[in-house]
Amino acid sequence: MSILANKETRAVIIGGAAGLNAARRMAQFDFLINKPLTVQAFVYPPEEGQQKEIYRGGELNNVHVYASLDKAIEENPQINTALIYIGASRAYQSAKEALETKGIKLVSMITEGVPEKDAKRLCKIAQQNGKLFNGPSSIGIMSAGECRLGVIGGEYKNLKLCNLYRSGSFGVITKSGGLSNETMWLCAQNGDGITSAVAIGGDAYPGTDFVTYLQMFENDPETKAVVIVGEVGGTLEEEAAEWLKEQKRRIRVIAAIGGTCQEVLPQGMKFGHAGAKEGKKGLGSARSKINALREAGAIVPDTFGGLSKAIKQVYQELISTGVIKPEAEIDEKLLPTLPPSVQEVMKQGEVIVEPLIRTTISDDRGEEPRYVGYAASELCEEGYGIEDVIGLLWNKKLPTREESEIIKRIIMISADHGPAVSGAFGAIIGACAGIDLPQAVSAGMTMIGPRFGGAVTNAGKYFKFGVKEYPNDIAGFLSWMKQNVGPVPGIGHRVKSVKNPDKRVKYLVEYVKNHTSLHTPCLDYALEVEKITTAKKDNLILNVDGTIGCILVDLDFPEYSLNGFFVLARTIGMIGHWIDQNNQNARLIRLYDYLINYAVKEERPVPEKK
Amino acid sequence: MAKILEGPAMKLFNKWGIPVPNYVVIMDPNRLEQLGEANKWLRESKLVVKAHEAIGGRYKLGLVKLGLNLEGALAAAKEMIGHTIGTSVVRQVIVAEMLDHDEEYYVSIAGNRDGAEILFSNKGGVDIEDNWDSVKRMFIPIDENPTIERLTDLALEAGFTPEIAERVGKIASRLILCFDNEDAQSIEINPLVIRKSDMRFAALDAVMNIDWDARFRHADWDFKPVSEIGRSYTEAEQQIMDIDARIKGSVKFVEVPGGDVALLTAGGGASVFYSDAVVARGGTIANYAEYSGDPPDWAVEALTETICMLPNIRHIIVGGAIANFTDVKATFNGIINGFRESKSRGYLENVKIWVRRGGPNEAQGLAMMKKLQEEGFDIHVYDRSMPMTDIVDLAMNA
Repeated sequence: MSILANKETRAVIIGGAAGLNAARRMAQFDFLINKPLTVQAFVYPPEEGQQKEIYRGGELNNVHVYASLDKAIEENPQINTALIYIGASRAYQSAKEALETKGIKLVSMITEGVPEKDAKRLCKIAQQNGKLFNGPSSIGIMSAGECRLGVIGGEYKNLKLCNLYRSGSFGVITKSGGLSNETMWLCAQNGDGITSAVAIGGDAYPGTDFVTYLQMFENDPETKAVVIVGEVGGTLEEEAAEWLKEQKRRIRVIAAIGGTCQEVLPQGMKFGHAGAKEGKKGLGSARSKINALREAGAIVPDTFGGLSKAIKQVYQELISTGVIKPEAEIDEKLLPTLPPSVQEVMKQGEVIVEPLIRTTISDDRGEEPRYVGYAASELCEEGYGIEDVIGLLWNKKLPTREESEIIKRIIMISADHGPAVSGAFGAIIGACAGIDLPQAVSAGMTMIGPRFGGAVTNAGKYFKFGVKEYPNDIAGFLSWMKQNVGPVPGIGHRVKSVKNPDKRVKYLVEYVKNHTSLHTPCLDYALEVEKITTAKKDNLILNVDGTIGCILVDLDFPEYSLNGFFVLARTIGMIGHWIDQNNQNARLIRLYDYLINYAVKEERPVPEKK
Repeated sequence: MAKILEGPAMKLFNKWGIPVPNYVVIMDPNRLEQLGEANKWLRESKLVVKAHEAIGGRYKLGLVKLGLNLEGALAAAKEMIGHTIGTSVVRQVIVAEMLDHDEEYYVSIAGNRDGAEILFSNKGGVDIEDNWDSVKRMFIPIDENPTIERLTDLALEAGFTPEIAERVGKIASRLILCFDNEDAQSIEINPLVIRKSDMRFAALDAVMNIDWDARFRHADWDFKPVSEIGRSYTEAEQQIMDIDARIKGSVKFVEVPGGDVALLTAGGGASVFYSDAVVARGGTIANYAEYSGDPPDWAVEALTETICMLPNIRHIIVGGAIANFTDVKATFNGIINGFRESKSRGYLENVKIWVRRGGPNEAQGLAMMKKLQEEGFDIHVYDRSMPMTDIVDLAMNA
């Protein structure tokens, strides 16, 4: 048996993230005692229409979020309890609504920092409506083996340690949330566990007092003793003492009262819960509470630590007088184990999961990213540059100083080629249309292909093929290319020619050959090819794509990475164009009619649809 | 309870039509001269100058000066501003009109669980405690404010003459409006004075407590409540309060000079029980501390370092109940980092550390704590099977 919450309790949670967390904890308890889900609905207008995923053991439930309590109750008429998790400024309105809703019998509020006046009013509304209002600042209510409201009881392991899967003989009422859990543990450790535990909250005016709950426990035949944890401030403990003294009570009462330290502290120094404030003339002091309770017959140890002994003593007395008949303990191994998440099981090495992807280049699971094992910051510190990062991430190698200089030059001379080319123009049109940087730059990027910038890979690939398959046989190579590929990628230019050479090509070739010791079989081969092709036609020169492709092959980059250099380099230019257009506040552009040849049909009537 | 200073209280009284003497609050004495040019009452009335700070027993400390003219008030203000009392510095003074009056009354209102109670006495002033039998009281249920007639009747009952009772009833009704609308927890006016020649009333001195949790609905609360610990906060306390204001969960810290047992305890309820246990076993606490609501580890670390710096401590009690949702491993991580840092800076010499805790990830947290033994800490670690405050007994017997 229990008070307040039992197997029939079904709850709505009013509030956002904290409420969801509580619902998940409550579902763990539901799983432990094999009870259907306690939380049936959420009310939280900002997330109306959403469903929250809640696991009861391994079973996944989707719980609806409603904009109003009325709607939640209309669709879930079985709800009889409301838990308030919403912020202090809206807590009063939410709780009032819940107290005035038919069918809801208990409203428990976890919200902290609720104005006292609001709490007093809610208390009154509850009385007028014949409802119970628990809190504010209540961690929740626990009925062993029956129902958990809120996060009271903590983690799953603790629920078992505190015997909360089955009813005991002790009731618990505390102001403090942390101590409700502690006291449940003490009842399990030194007795047979609890029937119900209620945290009433540490505010100055809790909605429901010790006496109300004491009377409920008195009426619950399974509860044989009640542990109260109170503290300085207010008169609820004195009232509990009065209740105990008033007439002979069935239940035994054990209490711990906090705040005696204030007797020796400098005057006016107060701390602890909001309600833990001594009144004038010692009214509500911890000492007066302790004395009142002791006079009324309660056992009150002088420290909290003394509770263990007191509970044990009462438990043994109740057994020896036959009031409690000890039941055989349930073997904890028979209790269900909470299914762990994949991550948890993997940590323990008890499951194998086939990875979805594999990476061989980088890892940022540590304090900072590592590129093929090297910490990024260490690379910076050791004087490495962006070329080295490219070398690592694209080829898993650290280039030499000479190689780095070549890579750097390739990127520098490819970074931009003016606004007129497809890529830059695409990015500019995007910028003019008011498109953001990443999208506008990708518009330019989509232009990269066979006719624009995309020849680097193929040039490198076929010249490499030539070096391997047709060494010293340029004619053979060209004839194979003609038969199998078509024009040689990397050869030919629209405007440049032997007489009007491409300065970038000349520079790169000259730099690589005269200023580095790089072995350049592929570049040499391409230059030999150029000799033959330019003899046929003046503009069939080795172009910049071909040059870069060959050098990169000579640098030992994989063939399929080669276009990456153009993409990377040109991204710098396209970003530049986007920024440039934005700086100028460029307006939307469209083609003038005179730039378009409208080779379309004459204007004509639309025929009837057949 | 959040006590506010006289200036803000007077402002709220004024807002609700409760008669107050003329007053000004100043930080710069020279401002008073200019205010004197602008306000006739400053030039023509007798004045009282009081330190506008949360300092108890101001009269005895010479921080209340009565019966002054403007010049005298100026001199008093100059003397008081910048004056240091313990850890507090006088930064503001309130200069008010000293109303010549014929009688002193007592009116107060205090909240209780079901509403509030209003108290009247026609024997107010410094001797009110001795005249407590003269006090008449009335219970005011929440949202059921009494009529002026009923309040007048109460005043009559308290022995006021009919003419004055009617006025007191009216003032009390406004006081109730102020109490109710300003989320007050208590207001005590002592004395409420009357000058019979022109039937002028004024609340000469008042103590007002407001519910600071209700500040979200009071746009005109442009003041802060005074320190709840009976003195102004120390720098270390202020630093922890600043952290507290920024985080999820909370960290709290109050220094108690002279103690040798430091508390690094968790939870609003348990922390008080730990303080009690130290006192019950004849020890003296060096501080009160509390972390709760699963605060971030860096905040707990800062709290730890602050506590390690407390002078002359012999024990640190790292106590706590079995947490519901505060992660023991994460918060202990903060504490451990704090201990290490403090040790490296030369603190924790000859300090014994006593640990007892439970809750989420308790096994890992306690194991980590225990490992500090290997680093030379004098640390004693216990799990949930140790009764909560019994580590204090162990420390006291060590």
